[in-house]
Amino acid sequence: MHHLSLYLHFVKLRIRSQMEYRFSFVFDLFSQASIAVIDFFMIALLFNRFKELAGWRLWEVGFLYGMIGVCFAVAEMVGRGFDVFQNSVVRGDFDTILIRPLGTFFQVFSQDFLLRRVGRFSQAFVILLIANSQLTISWSFVKVGYLLVSLVSGTSFFIGLFVIGATSCFWTIQSIEIINIFTNGGVFMGSYPFSIYRRWFRHFFTFIVPLACVNYFPALFLMEKVVPSSVSTLGVYLAPFAGFLFLGITMLFWRWGVLHYQSTGH
Amino acid sequence: MRPLYLTFNVYFAFVRKSFQRRMQYRVANLAGLTTNFFFLLVHIFVYTAFYAASTEPQPLNLNEIITYFVLCQVSFMLMPFWGARSEVTQAIKDGSVALQLTKPVDFHAYWFADECGRACYFLLMRGCPTFLISILFFEVTIPQQFTVFMAFAASMGLAIFMSAAIMITIFSSAFWTLDTAGISGMSGSIIMLFSGMLVPIALWPEWLAHIAEWLPFAGLIDVPFSIYLGKTTGGAILTAIGKQMMWCIIFLGLGRFFLSRGFSRLVIQGG
Repeated sequence: MHHLSLYLHFVKLRIRSQMEYRFSFVFDLFSQASIAVIDFFMIALLFNRFKELAGWRLWEVGFLYGMIGVCFAVAEMVGRGFDVFQNSVVRGDFDTILIRPLGTFFQVFSQDFLLRRVGRFSQAFVILLIANSQLTISWSFVKVGYLLVSLVSGTSFFIGLFVIGATSCFWTIQSIEIINIFTNGGVFMGSYPFSIYRRWFRHFFTFIVPLACVNYFPALFLMEKVVPSSVSTLGVYLAPFAGFLFLGITMLFWRWGVLHYQSTGH
Repeated sequence: MRPLYLTFNVYFAFVRKSFQRRMQYRVANLAGLTTNFFFLLVHIFVYTAFYAASTEPQPLNLNEIITYFVLCQVSFMLMPFWGARSEVTQAIKDGSVALQLTKPVDFHAYWFADECGRACYFLLMRGCPTFLISILFFEVTIPQQFTVFMAFAASMGLAIFMSAAIMITIFSSAFWTLDTAGISGMSGSIIMLFSGMLVPIALWPEWLAHIAEWLPFAGLIDVPFSIYLGKTTGGAILTAIGKQMMWCIIFLGLGRFFLSRGFSRLVIQGG
């Protein structure tokens, strides 16, 4: 409870400081949304020309797109501290974190809060709503719960990626940019049905980096699409939990990484 | 202000320094290359699936689409999609721009030289390897006529030039807003859309393609690549290149204007 109230207090401070550059903030809010609108607009353009993609129609893909977009926007909003963590290591600020009487993970987590991602979030959410109205998904209590779990799991998945990027800074100082492949690239990939990718590619993004588990499989279940024969039904039910597992593993990685921290800077 | 042609050497030195500075980040470049390939791969998967499901003839065949996206990844880092680079805006934000201002150089030309050095670096260290490796893995079309290749080179050169001019115009806005993340994000996404980076303009519906035709941004991506693919031929090439030149001059003028206005109202921040 103490942590929660502290976290909320930190968030309030972050928001206040971001409001200092008000014009830029508003502009960024719109730009976030406009980038996303353009993104989806382009997908719509392609469907306008090609009609379908591996048996998926526009709004089915829109559903995938909305889900992954919502997860990523929230992850960027709350996980920002890990996203920009390299600055703390480059400047040697992590020393300060180590001497405070709180866990390092919590402190870095609460270090930043990127309010402007609300723009991106609302766009993805609107796409999700429109997709839902265009599709005839028979919602039940189980399905709503399943969707919520999937969304939280997807968010955890992306935060986990940020944590990996941040932890690598303990060795490399600068963040490894390869992680962008999985974050931005993950959003891009996740916007399309997984069946279009090659086998090795699908396996990698299911078992090692569980992107498919938090997006594609849940969407299959919610839209009651035919599950590929190579995937067991039980696997689809359990898929969303892969996101939590992923975050848990990255947290262990973080704890191990902290032990290897050597101070830099001044 | 000293005449530009007398101080060419000075600016050339800036180009070289800008190039050398980036040479330091070899690992980052390797990571960038990997990222380029990843996005290329996903693009190819997506279009292959789209083409597999469609029987109608398309304005570009699958091989041409693949070539188009290979070229996109080759030139991605040269383009103004990123908006303002943080070094410049940071300099304005924390006041260290004051130090830069003490240099006896034309500022617009100085930043332009810096951008050119950056472009050379990414063309050589990112673009060329991307292209060469792509040839090995994918079926990339290569122009058969020498004239096509020359026209492409000219058009691509102008595209890079225009990119630098646009970039400076965008980060001049930092003098007004200090934090340029918003403006550069917004302009970046619009430029990216109308350049044809996301979907080749040939695949767009007609009404939208018309809008793109009247905007300068197709000159960054779609115009040079259409020449490369042999979709723009004959006199149309000259018209396209002429248009690129015109937009280059306009953006150079705009950048100069904004910068001079910016300096006249500059308040040095920080301490």
